[in-house]
Amino acid sequence: MTKQRKWDNLATDTAERMAAADRFIGKGKEVQSGDVVALLEAVIRPGDRVNIEGNNQKQADFLADCLNQVDKGKVHDLHMVQSCVPLASHLDLFESGIAKKLDFAFGGPQAGRVAKFIREGKIELGAIHTYLELFGRYFLDLTPKVSLICAYEADREGNLYTGFNTEDTPVIVEATKFRQGIVIAQVNKIVDKIPRIDIPAGWIDAVVQSPKPFFIEPLFTRDPALITDPQILLAMLALKGVYAEYNVASMNHGIGFLTSAIELMLPTYGAELGLKGKCCTHMILNPHPTMIPAIEEGWVDTIHCFGGELGMEKYVAARPDVFFIGPDGTLRSNRAFAQTAGHYAVDMFIGGTLQIDPYGNSSTATANRVAGFGGAPNMGCDPKGRRHSTEAWLKCGQELPCMKDQIGAMPRGKRLVVQGIETFGEGRAPAFVEELDAWKLAKNANLELPPVMIYGDDVTHIITEEGIAYLCRCGDMETRSAAIRAVAGYTDIGLKAKPEETRRLRDAKIVRTPEDLGVDRNRASRDLLSAKSMQELVTWSGGLYEPPARFRNW
Amino acid sequence: MSNWSALQNRSFLESNARARAVGLVDEGSFTEFVGPFDRRTSPHLEVLGEAVEFDDGIVTGIGKIGKTPVFMISQEGRFIGGAVGEVGGAKMVGALKAARAFAEKIAKDFPKAKEEEKPIVVISFETGGVRLHEANAGLLAHAEVMDQFQRCRGIVPVVSVIGSKVGCFGGMGFVAAAADVVVMSEFGRLGLTGPEVIEQEMGKEEFDSADRGLVFRTTGGRHKYIMGDCNFLVDDTIAAFRKQLAELGKTPRAKFAEFRRIGSPELVEKQLKRVALAAEMQPKDARDVWAKAGNADPAALGNAPLDDFRKAVKRLTV
Amino acid sequence: MALNTIEFECKSAAPAALVGKPLHFGVVGSGDLEVLMEPKALKGAVAVKVVTPVSGFDELWRRVLATFVENSKLGDVSIEINDNNATPAVVMLRLRQALSEAAA
Repeated sequence: MTKQRKWDNLATDTAERMAAADRFIGKGKEVQSGDVVALLEAVIRPGDRVNIEGNNQKQADFLADCLNQVDKGKVHDLHMVQSCVPLASHLDLFESGIAKKLDFAFGGPQAGRVAKFIREGKIELGAIHTYLELFGRYFLDLTPKVSLICAYEADREGNLYTGFNTEDTPVIVEATKFRQGIVIAQVNKIVDKIPRIDIPAGWIDAVVQSPKPFFIEPLFTRDPALITDPQILLAMLALKGVYAEYNVASMNHGIGFLTSAIELMLPTYGAELGLKGKCCTHMILNPHPTMIPAIEEGWVDTIHCFGGELGMEKYVAARPDVFFIGPDGTLRSNRAFAQTAGHYAVDMFIGGTLQIDPYGNSSTATANRVAGFGGAPNMGCDPKGRRHSTEAWLKCGQELPCMKDQIGAMPRGKRLVVQGIETFGEGRAPAFVEELDAWKLAKNANLELPPVMIYGDDVTHIITEEGIAYLCRCGDMETRSAAIRAVAGYTDIGLKAKPEETRRLRDAKIVRTPEDLGVDRNRASRDLLSAKSMQELVTWSGGLYEPPARFRNW
Repeated sequence: MSNWSALQNRSFLESNARARAVGLVDEGSFTEFVGPFDRRTSPHLEVLGEAVEFDDGIVTGIGKIGKTPVFMISQEGRFIGGAVGEVGGAKMVGALKAARAFAEKIAKDFPKAKEEEKPIVVISFETGGVRLHEANAGLLAHAEVMDQFQRCRGIVPVVSVIGSKVGCFGGMGFVAAAADVVVMSEFGRLGLTGPEVIEQEMGKEEFDSADRGLVFRTTGGRHKYIMGDCNFLVDDTIAAFRKQLAELGKTPRAKFAEFRRIGSPELVEKQLKRVALAAEMQPKDARDVWAKAGNADPAALGNAPLDDFRKAVKRLTV
Repeated sequence: MALNTIEFECKSAAPAALVGKPLHFGVVGSGDLEVLMEPKALKGAVAVKVVTPVSGFDELWRRVLATFVENSKLGDVSIEINDNNATPAVVMLRLRQALSEAAA
């Protein structure tokens, strides 16, 4: 007979903490906003793993502020495990010593401070993850003991409505609560009845109505008025040379102006190419306002969202055939599921980048900012576990000349990973470089790895104003680098391209210029945009889209 | 220059100075004065090492709409924010002088000329005012343009047209308001001190220049139309502006005095009443004034499509 | 401090006089440029004059214009550009647009 072992240490620990917090928690788990600091001191112990909800959109900002006010004698050296650290308050925790270690996915506006704190030893960096990777670790070795989350409304029992901006909440709560952790929610309002229950009261330990509604950023709103002619040329190349070439049905679009231009050109140039019904039918996207014209024109069957987008609430609710709408009539976004679909199910990821090296590695890192990855690498990669076939995926895989060296004659597809970039960026900074700034960042911030958004072996296409490099048609590194040189324009890398080599690549359709593709550069003007202004988006939406004030010009 | 017909349905907001100048008059009728081939670049910018433009950011010339000769001045906001310097200012003054001389000649030589055969001046504003690089020369240009306006009064009407990205601010805000008629689109903005400067001087609490909704309902076409600072609020196409100008070309010249904001003791009296109203009301937002004008739901009015706005709106009568 | 003026000539392998009358295109916005093209007897060559506030990119201008002239087969033309920090992509786009407008 072995010694009697105790199997509920976690629950006992939580019960002790909750007992200490009992006096702050009233009926319906409600805590007064003035008691939150004391509550946090009661339930958080030094060295705890703590999550503050917030990705690049909604933020549990009030709870983050409260955590900054705790007695450092009582609460210190926390290990923060959270998607993003975009608020100043997230980093202030490390300044004061309340927190010590950080595992995260995205830095946002605090990227410069993250790099500085790592260098100064104020942050002990665990790792920089992708969202799915971090979510995975919530259920493995980075489970939060205490999570500070964020919802629109709670009812009198503590049930939560996270609604349009459900985002990361389910993942955080499930990981925390089912390891007997503590979940504290800030809500904009406590009401008698919520539209639907997104998180059941039984998984919540305390609810506070925050003095101000949570901060939310309209991160995916791109004003069509700011789209430039070169971006439109790149969008034309993408539509003709990739969308039409592979009949790409499902995809994720990145956040930049190139993909906004593509979205706005579906009803114009895309329709002209006959892509309606073939391309962009299934998408994993936030509710991008620039998708409105294509949705209205009937291009899109399904859109599932990582998060919401400020101002799109009514429009999305009025298009339940397209979006994922609850029985209450409002959208439920869910980052974990959208990322899963983005990783496994879509045929293509297309987005912009900042730098590409001669091998095709692509990075948005700059020398002094730890911006992190967010979700892009999960979508901007070839999912090795994918087993279903689609036309675009299979065609891309079949083009890969080196596939047979790895798996013989076995047919296999490949995710299209497309990077669009002008050869020179702001201030004539070259986009093609011998060495990514990610190397310098790794050195400056003591990172183990240069943070590469998309590795060269995953990139299948690079689009510049010079044309498209079909890297998926390259059999070896030498050909890849030659194809990259051929579209690198007048950068130092591009100037190394040899005309006869480029000619051969063009003949082999590994490199295709606008002329090779039949794209008329002279048409690359804003006339191709189905909406040229925010107001035209509102008009397309029948008045349902309500742009945030900062995007209005009427 | 792009095909004239294609220009007609183009967004006025998106059109550059030359496209506006060409598109606002009849097809093929525009003749440019001191155009890019004359290469009159700013000597001041050159010395300062700043980029120059062959027309110094201002297009001037003459065209016609129907039978009406139109002297055209069009400012380019993408070139140094449309700021007016010495060369561009001189071009404005030159065009105004030419218009006045032409109007006087028509009156003298053709006393029976019909109203629609008499010239008008159209100024398409897109500017923040004085080009600071040229300091006094730019200021002087403003004064000279104002002076020409006074000389033109009763001889040739001057029409301000505002619907471009930069809006019309600074000293040129005074100039535009001093014209006989102001035509705007809802995307046009007219004011003196630009939003960023107000924020800088008065603080973000007083005026948040990043809140474009606030900026537009304080300086934009809809607000200016309610306030009477703008006489006509048209759609955002070159054709819509052109149509309004064609109407004005046929309007009896004597009637233009009624469109004005200033220029008579009665009009000054009216302006003073508005100042008194503002002092009395202490409005916290432009919407307060919209409500005062008799608009029951100002927020909905601001969001309504322009056609509905024009049908429903009540304008301030004080 | 003063503006930089870069002047050079380039020549296509098979020059053709494509500009029949003087043309003007573009606006000197930030990151943009304007161009004048005028027919000029240069024995098939193209004379280029660029005025720009940016220094240190003379060689880049030569390369971009040489490629443009070669690809378009432009000849017997004088090109004058006022630049305000346009990228090569924008330069090439504007030159092509200018030429296509001349042809229209």
